[in-house]
Amino acid sequence: MQCANDPRRPERIVRYVSPQAVLNAQNDEKKDAPNDDLTPDYMNVLGMIFSMCALMMRIKWCGWVAVYCSCISFANTKYNDDTKQIMSSFMLSISAVVMSYLQNPMPMTLPFTG
Amino acid sequence: MRRRKSFLCPATLLPMLMLAISINLMSGTSEAAKSNEYADIEDNDFAEFDFEDETDESSKVEVEDEDDEFDTNVEDEEAEVEVETENDDEFSHFEDDEEFEGFNPKEDHEDPDEFYNEPKARPEKATPNPPKQPIKIVNIPAHLRTNWENYYMEIFMIIGIIVYFLNFFTGKTKNQKIANQWFNSHRSLLESQFSLVGDDGSKNTEDIQEPLTKESENIFTFWCSGRVCCEGMLVELKLLKRQDLVGVISTAMKPAHDQVHVRVEMSPEDMDSFIFCIANKKSSLRLAKEMNDLATYCPERRPADKFDIPGSYFIMSEVAEVASAMLDAKMISMFRKYPDAIDTIHFSDQFTGPKPGEDQQPLELPQGKQVLIFVFNILTGKDKSLDEAIEETKPLMQLVFYCLDKVKRYKLSREAKTKADKNRTRVAENHWRSIHAVKAEKAAEEREKKRREIKERIREIEDPEKQRKMEERENRREKKKQQPKMKQLKVN
Repeated sequence: MQCANDPRRPERIVRYVSPQAVLNAQNDEKKDAPNDDLTPDYMNVLGMIFSMCALMMRIKWCGWVAVYCSCISFANTKYNDDTKQIMSSFMLSISAVVMSYLQNPMPMTLPFTG
Repeated sequence: MRRRKSFLCPATLLPMLMLAISINLMSGTSEAAKSNEYADIEDNDFAEFDFEDETDESSKVEVEDEDDEFDTNVEDEEAEVEVETENDDEFSHFEDDEEFEGFNPKEDHEDPDEFYNEPKARPEKATPNPPKQPIKIVNIPAHLRTNWENYYMEIFMIIGIIVYFLNFFTGKTKNQKIANQWFNSHRSLLESQFSLVGDDGSKNTEDIQEPLTKESENIFTFWCSGRVCCEGMLVELKLLKRQDLVGVISTAMKPAHDQVHVRVEMSPEDMDSFIFCIANKKSSLRLAKEMNDLATYCPERRPADKFDIPGSYFIMSEVAEVASAMLDAKMISMFRKYPDAIDTIHFSDQFTGPKPGEDQQPLELPQGKQVLIFVFNILTGKDKSLDEAIEETKPLMQLVFYCLDKVKRYKLSREAKTKADKNRTRVAENHWRSIHAVKAEKAAEEREKKRREIKERIREIEDPEKQRKMEERENRREKKKQQPKMKQLKVN
């Protein structure tokens, strides 16, 4: 029995629909909400670029930077995002580091130290 | 009769001749080994090698007689190179293997011509020392297991990754703790206002296990519904990125607070047509640029000093009377009591979110929603613990319900209503005009494209007669289109 001052109305319950689901229903392809944090996406792309540099140009510090970019992307990712992309970014960066050292086991030298 | 063999018969001559030749050869070898006078003998090719020996003056004289043209410098150099004596022991160094680098010992040393019969041999080559071959130093990489101290950069990198992940787990745990604490602290208040507090998507509302939803490691949301005047309320706890080391460092450099974003979705019949926003300076600048409704309907920003609100707050209002109506005594007292805790209060009946980008212009006029948005800061600091900061947000949540009821009751005056409706109509017209302009431009482009295609097809026709006919047909069609359309009336 509800009092007159009780603002609760069980008959007016509306179930929650996430904004992401609404956007996906409007467009057929998956799309992020416009004001979403883009840090994980940028870090993902950066990680891939550095991994490619490490693999193709055999630059060791690029491999390490790629690993760090993957870590930052992982830390900032949202739960509803695709985890495959993060995992592939991690695998690519780790393989870049491993391949760099297999080809040349010398210690890493930074570009400005020569 | 047997002829008596003479001493000079072939049988004796031949062996004697061979003996003489061998004796001659042997004597020649010994002389070459002993002295440098061989240079004087017949073959003048080696005359240039003035093997001067200071003790042996006779040979020196002879060399000078024969080789006047040669440079004395060569003589000086050669004096250092060769020492000639008649003593066999002084040539014992020829037998030393270390004297001859690169010299192949398998070669026949006994051939006397080997050292002498090189026509243009240089002074260095006359000596027994063969030329040195350049030594190539191959860069052999250091072995991974023996020089650990050289890998200090790699060790540093690995330590950095370990530190990053340690911080990740620590920050994640702390954020979870803050979110749980906030939710548990406000749960009773929320349950007194809403029938449903927290929705995890379960079919039955009674089967909801986790009311608090984790969007990411620093964003937690929950949905409340079942109340008068509103369809529901979404509460987002946007905490600091404690799980990201880069976020921690940026927070240390540029201080920020954990925030509570409350968005109440009003029923269309429960809110009049007005747009009002009060925010601190930084937020008001950002909102005025980013938010579509504020940029369209409230272009001016006015300071809130007029209302005796402390701090640097700015008001954006479509109609001036709305600001006076919303900022009543209770509201102002909350601003005074909790300075810095209130970041933004935004009421709008035309809320469509942020402005779309230039390439994302919608074709249809977006339908605005009636929303009340509140942004509060959780002010933790040196003199305030987390529990105290969370307790301080309770009165702010009470403010939300107060505003909810106030907006339901508030009605615009006639003039304000007329002005608001006029603004909305103007915005809709502008939108359709721009859409129409865009559509007209697209149609013109398509027409131009079609015309070009037809012309290309006509040009490709090989038969000139057919080409001419096609061109005439096209010209007639275009002329017909350009003529004004007239209705024909039949008069009987």
